[in-house]
Amino acid sequence: MDSKYRLGIDIGGTFTDAIVTDNQGRVVTTLKTPSVADAPEQAIFNALEQLQERGVDTKQIDLFVHGTTLGVNTLIERSGAVTGLLVTRGFRDVLEIRRLRLENTTNLYGDKTPPLVPRQLVKEINERQLADGTVLTPLDPQELLAAVEDLVQLGVTALAVSFLHSYANDSHEAQAEQLIRERYPQLFICRSSAIWPQQREFERTLATVMNAYVGEQMGSYFKRLQAGIGQYGVSATLLSTMSNGGMMTAARAAAEPVRTLLSGPASGVIGATYIAGQAGISQVVTFDMGGTSVDVALIDKEPAYSTENQVGDYPVIIPAVDVTAIGAGGGSIAWVDSVGVLKVGPRSAGARPGPACYNRGGEHATTTDAYLHLGILQADRFLGGQMRLYPELAEQALTRLGSQLRLSATQTAQAILDVATANMYAQFSPLMARKGVDPRDFTLLAYGGAGPMHAFLMAREVGIRKVLIPPSPGTLCAMGCMVANLRNDFVFTFHKSSGHLQDGELLSQYSLLEQQGRRWIEEEASGGVELGGTYVIYSADMRYEGQAFDLEVTLSEAEINSPDQAKHKFHQQYESVFGISQPDAEVMFVNLRASIVGLLPSKPAVGLVQATGSSKPAELRSIRFDGLDHQAKVLSREQLSSERRISGPVILEEYDTTVFIPPGFAIYRDAGGNIIGEAEL
Amino acid sequence: MITDKVFLEIFNNRIQAAVEEMANVVLRTGFTAFVKETGDFGTYLLSPAGETFGSPLDTGYNLSLGIPAATAINAIKDWQEGDIVICNDPYSTGGMVTHLPDLHLIKPYFHEGRIIAFGLCFVHSSDVGGKVPGSVSPTAYDIHMEGIRIAPVKLYEAGRLNGQVLRLLLDNSRIPEQNQGDLNALMAALNRGEVRLKELIRRYGAEQVEQGIENLLEYAELKARTIIEEIPDGSYDFWDYLEKGPGGYPIRLRCRMTISGSDIHLDFTGTDPQVRASFNIPTHNQQGHYMLVPALIRYFRTFDPTIPWNSGMVRMVSNYAPPASLLNPQVNAAVGARAATFIRVMDVITGALSQAQVNKVPAAGAGQACIVMMAMTDPADGKSKVGVIQPICGGSGARPMKDGIDGMDFAVGHLRNIPAETVEAEMPILIEQYGLRKDSAGAGRFRGGSGIDLRVRILSPDTVMTARNMERMEFQPWGRVGGGVGEHGEAILNEGRAGERSLGRIDELLLQPGDTVTFLSQGGGGYGDPYEREPKLVLEDVLKGLLSAGQAREGYGVEIAGNTVDEAATSLLRSGTAGSREAFSFGEARETFEALWADEMQLAVINALSQYPLALRDYLKRQTMAEVEKLTRTGEAVTPQAVPEVMEQLRRAIGLR
Repeated sequence: MDSKYRLGIDIGGTFTDAIVTDNQGRVVTTLKTPSVADAPEQAIFNALEQLQERGVDTKQIDLFVHGTTLGVNTLIERSGAVTGLLVTRGFRDVLEIRRLRLENTTNLYGDKTPPLVPRQLVKEINERQLADGTVLTPLDPQELLAAVEDLVQLGVTALAVSFLHSYANDSHEAQAEQLIRERYPQLFICRSSAIWPQQREFERTLATVMNAYVGEQMGSYFKRLQAGIGQYGVSATLLSTMSNGGMMTAARAAAEPVRTLLSGPASGVIGATYIAGQAGISQVVTFDMGGTSVDVALIDKEPAYSTENQVGDYPVIIPAVDVTAIGAGGGSIAWVDSVGVLKVGPRSAGARPGPACYNRGGEHATTTDAYLHLGILQADRFLGGQMRLYPELAEQALTRLGSQLRLSATQTAQAILDVATANMYAQFSPLMARKGVDPRDFTLLAYGGAGPMHAFLMAREVGIRKVLIPPSPGTLCAMGCMVANLRNDFVFTFHKSSGHLQDGELLSQYSLLEQQGRRWIEEEASGGVELGGTYVIYSADMRYEGQAFDLEVTLSEAEINSPDQAKHKFHQQYESVFGISQPDAEVMFVNLRASIVGLLPSKPAVGLVQATGSSKPAELRSIRFDGLDHQAKVLSREQLSSERRISGPVILEEYDTTVFIPPGFAIYRDAGGNIIGEAEL
Repeated sequence: MITDKVFLEIFNNRIQAAVEEMANVVLRTGFTAFVKETGDFGTYLLSPAGETFGSPLDTGYNLSLGIPAATAINAIKDWQEGDIVICNDPYSTGGMVTHLPDLHLIKPYFHEGRIIAFGLCFVHSSDVGGKVPGSVSPTAYDIHMEGIRIAPVKLYEAGRLNGQVLRLLLDNSRIPEQNQGDLNALMAALNRGEVRLKELIRRYGAEQVEQGIENLLEYAELKARTIIEEIPDGSYDFWDYLEKGPGGYPIRLRCRMTISGSDIHLDFTGTDPQVRASFNIPTHNQQGHYMLVPALIRYFRTFDPTIPWNSGMVRMVSNYAPPASLLNPQVNAAVGARAATFIRVMDVITGALSQAQVNKVPAAGAGQACIVMMAMTDPADGKSKVGVIQPICGGSGARPMKDGIDGMDFAVGHLRNIPAETVEAEMPILIEQYGLRKDSAGAGRFRGGSGIDLRVRILSPDTVMTARNMERMEFQPWGRVGGGVGEHGEAILNEGRAGERSLGRIDELLLQPGDTVTFLSQGGGGYGDPYEREPKLVLEDVLKGLLSAGQAREGYGVEIAGNTVDEAATSLLRSGTAGSREAFSFGEARETFEALWADEMQLAVINALSQYPLALRDYLKRQTMAEVEKLTRTGEAVTPQAVPEVMEQLRRAIGLR
C-alpha cells in the first residue's frame, strides 16, 4: 500500500525516541534506541534502520520533525564556538554585570557563571542610539571592521552584535552585519535586533550571544543529518522543534538555534497538551520525572508560556513553554547528614554510575533502589527487560544507609520515597502559588522514565485527585514532535502610555508584527510544509504608569484595534490578580507581542496506539508500602478497560516505564488508551 | 531531643514549602516596587514563643533569621482566632521592626483553642509618611521625622476588620492605595500559611507538629554548633567604620567575638554612641538579633548548605551593645537608614571571624549599597519624574582560595539592577558608561572583585540627584593575609571635562543639561600575597582590561610585555621586594586616622562620653575629637588618660549649668 508517514524523533540524554504515524494519523510504531552523545545524528540513523527492519518504508516519510538537546548541551558543557561580541561604547561588561543579583547570597564561596564571551573578546564600538531610535553617534565602518579584524586574529569564529536601543532602530546593527558579512563571509554572525528585539540590553545581548555560541555546532549537525537521512531515502523537509513548543525548518533552526534551547521539555508539554485535549481534560499539571529532577508545567487548555526561563544559569527572554525543574529524580542519592537526618538529593547518581541496583559501581542508595527493594520495580522487567537490575545491591546500599538511621532496609526504602516526595512538594507548592493556581483543580499527567512510578505519590501529597498516564509515556516527547505546529513569536518594544497614543498607532504596530509573522510562515511553508491554516495571537506587556512590573495581557483583534478596549482588558486582569485596579489611570503598553501559528493538517489519534507485548494473566506480587505488606496486582495496559475500576495497589508494567498505583487510588483505561487514576476517598 | 529523623526531614520540607508559598503569594499579589524589584518583604512561621522556625530562602529578603518576635507577641494579651496584629514601631516591638517602612502583620494559628504557631509577614512600604517621600532620610534625627509609628495593635479582631486602625495608617502615607494593596498581599500570605499548618495538623496531629517545630529549631542549632565547634576558642577583636558621623568623623563599630565551645558571644562594647542621624539599629540587645548575625549565618551556610533555614541557627549567639550606642539606641532615635550600618556590622563580624578561623573567610567587599535616584521635569512631556537610576554595589572580597566576584558583593547580593535601556526610556538621562572599574580590585594572591564604573549624562534642566548610603568613600575595603585594599568609592562631576571635580559623598546635587556624574565603586579587598599570584592570571586581567600594566608591575611584580609575561623582568621584580604578610591591610586613610585615633584613644572618648547626658554626647564627641586633633597639630600629644579632662573643659565651656 502506498502510505505516507510522519516521523517524530526526540533525542534525549539517554535514549533517542521515535514515533511513526501513517497518513491517517494512526501510530504505526514507536521505538527507543540509545543516544550517541558525540554524534547525535547517529542515533537517528540507527532509528531509521530499525524502522526499515520493522517494515516502514522510510522513502515514504513526508514529514520529519525532530528535537535535539545539542544546543543546550553545547551551552551547559561550554563547548561552543570561540565567540566575539560587539557592543556600544560604555557597555563592554553587559555580560559580566548581568542583572547584578547573585543566585546564592549565602554561599561565600559561590561564583557567578563566567560569561560565554570573555572580556577580551568584547569590543566597544563608537555608535549610539537613543531610546526612541534617534541616532546620537553614527556608526563608523572603519572602526567596526578594525574591531572585527582584532577579534578574528584572536580566533573568533562566531560573532554577536548587540547595540544599545537596537530594538527601536536596527539600522546600526543591520549595517554592521552587512559590512562584516561582506568582509568575513566565514564568520557565523547574528545581531540582537534580528534575534529578539526587546528592550533590556543584558537579556537581549545574552540571547544573541547564546545563538552565536551554539550556531556552528547546530549548523554542522543539521548538515550531517540532512546528508545522512538522504541515504535512507528520506526527502522530507527536516523540521526542528522549538522552545515555544512549535517547530521550524532545520535550515532556520541552524541560523537561530537559540530558539531551540528549551525544545526538549517543551515537546513533552506539547505532547501532554494534545493528549489532555483528546481526553477532554483542560487543566493539567505535567510531571516528567527523569534521573535528577522532575519537570513540571501547567496546561490550561493551552500550555503556559514564560519569558523568564533559564538555561543553566542564563535567563532566556524569548518566550518558551513554561517548564520548571523541581525536587528529586530516580537517580537522586539518599544520605544521612551530621545530625543523623535522612536527605535525598540534590546529588544524583545519573546514568553512570547510576543507582546501586544498576551494578555499574554505584554505592549509594537512590530512589530507584528504594522502588526496587519495595517490589514496585521488577528486576527482570526494567526497560522491557533490556536492562537487568540487581536487588541484592539495592538491599546492601539500603542496609548501609539504614544502619545510620537505625532502620531496616525496607523502612529505609519507604523513608527515601517519603522524603523524595516531600522534596518535590517543597518546590512544587510554592511554584503553584507563584502561578496563582490551586493544583487540586488539576489533573497530574505523568510521563518520562520515572514519572508514572512516582506520580500517584506526588498526587497524594499535594491533594491532586486525578492522574493520567498516556500510552507509551516514555516517548511522549517524540509524540510532542508529531503534534506540534509551525509557530514563531515576535516582539516590539513600544513603551508608550495610552495617553500619548495616536489614532490607529497601536493597530499599525500590531500590523507590522503580523506582517513579520506572515512572512515568516510563508517562508517556512515554502520549504515544503503543507499547512491546514494559520492564525495570530496578540498580547501586550502592560502596566500602570510609574509601576515597575508588567502583566502580559492577551488581546483580541477588536482589542488591538481599540486601545480603550485593550485598557479595559488590562484593568480586568489586574483586578483578578491584585483584587483592585485603577480604571481611570493611564496604562503603559511596554512590549507588543504576536505569535503566528501554522496548523498542520491532521494529527495522530492516540486511541489507536497499540502497545507492544501481549496480554498476560493477572499476577500478584508482594510489595511493602507505607509500612504494610500488600499483594499488588501486576497488570498491563491491555488488561484494563473503561468499564471496571481496579483499586490500588496496582503495578502496571509497560515497555518503557512502570506505573505504580498505591492504595487509595483506582484506575481504568479511557477510550484514548490513557490510564486514568482517581482518588477513592 | 530529636525523635524521628525521617519525619523531621519531611516536616522540614513541608515548612519550607509553606513559607516559600507564603512569600510567593506576596510576590504575585504585592503591589509596590519594593515587592517586585528588590524583594524587600518576608514571610515567616514562628513558634508560640516567637522563634522563627520557617523562613523563605528563594523568595523575598532571606536574611532575617533571629527576629525577636516575643515582645510584639506578648504585647497582645488576648490573642483570639482570626486576629491579625499590625505594627511598624521598632521601640514597642523590642527591635522586631528596625525601621518604620517595614509594615509587619502577625496572625496566631490556633488548634482547639491553643496557639500552635504564629504567621509573621512584613513588606517594606514605599511610604509611611515622615519628612521625605519614601520615609527614609539619613538626616532625620528622631523617629518622628520618619513616619507614623504603630505599636502592636489588632487590625483584625477575631476576623473583624478594625477600620479605624487601617484608616489611621493610610491617612499617614503618601501612597495609601499601594499600602492597602501590599497589606492585602500580606494577609493573603498569612491565610495561606494557616491553611498549610492546619493541613499538617490534620495529617500528623497537633502534638507531632509541635514536636516537629521544636525539633526543627533544634536541628538547625545542632548543625550550627557542629560548625562552631571547629572554630578555635578565644576572643577576637575587630572594628570598622561608617564615614561622616558627628563632626565629619567616622563612626566606629567595635566587636569582641568570643568563641567558647559551640557558643558565640558578640560584645559591641566600644561601639560609638547613637548618632543624631538615622543610622542607628534598634537591636534592644535581643539575643541573636537579625541585624547582627547575617555574617555568621552566611558562614554556617557556606559550610553546611543543608542547615534548616530557621532561627535555631542563632540560638547559641549572645550579644551585647551598650545602651545608647549605635546598635542599641534609646527610644526615639532615628533609624531609617540603618541599612548602611547593617552592612558594616557584617564586615566587623567577618573581620573577627576571619581571625578566629584562618583561611576560611573572605576579605572585605565593597560594603555599600548606594541607590542613585533622580528627580527632574522631563522636557519631552513636562511631567515631573522621580526614579532609580541604578543601585551601586561593588566587588566582593577575595576568598582564601579564589578571586572575589566582579561588580557584586554578598552583603547586598539580592539587589537587581535596572536595564540602561529602560532607564533611558523612562528618564531624560543618558547612561554613557556602565561597566567594571579598572584597577579597583584589591591585589592579592586572590584578588578582590572589581568595582563598578557608572557615568550618566543629564539631559534635563534642574535635575536633582540623590545617592543614599554612599560609604567607603575614604576607608577602603580591607585585604587579608598580605592582600591589598580595594579602591575606595568616588563620585566625580564632569569627569575629563572642564569643571571636573570630586564630589565625595552625594547627599543632594543640582545638575544641568550636559553635566555628567561618574560613580566609581569599591573593589573588594585582596587575599594573600600578590607576589604569589600566578603571573598568567595577572596577564589575563591585563588582557581583559581590568588591570593596567602599571598596576600589574606595582601591585603584583609582574612585567607585561605586549600580550605576554616578561618572565625575566617578573622574577627580578618579585625577588626584590618580599610580599607583605600583614594580617589585615586597611589602607592609608584609615591608618592615618588611627595613627591618632588608636583603639585606646577612641575607647577613652566614648568612655568619657558615657558620663554625660545623651543629649550632649553627639556634641561633645565631635568637639572633643576636634580639640584633640588641634592639640596634636600644635605638638601637644593627648593621651587616652587626658581625654576626659579635655571633654570636661568643653562641657564647661558651654556655659550652662
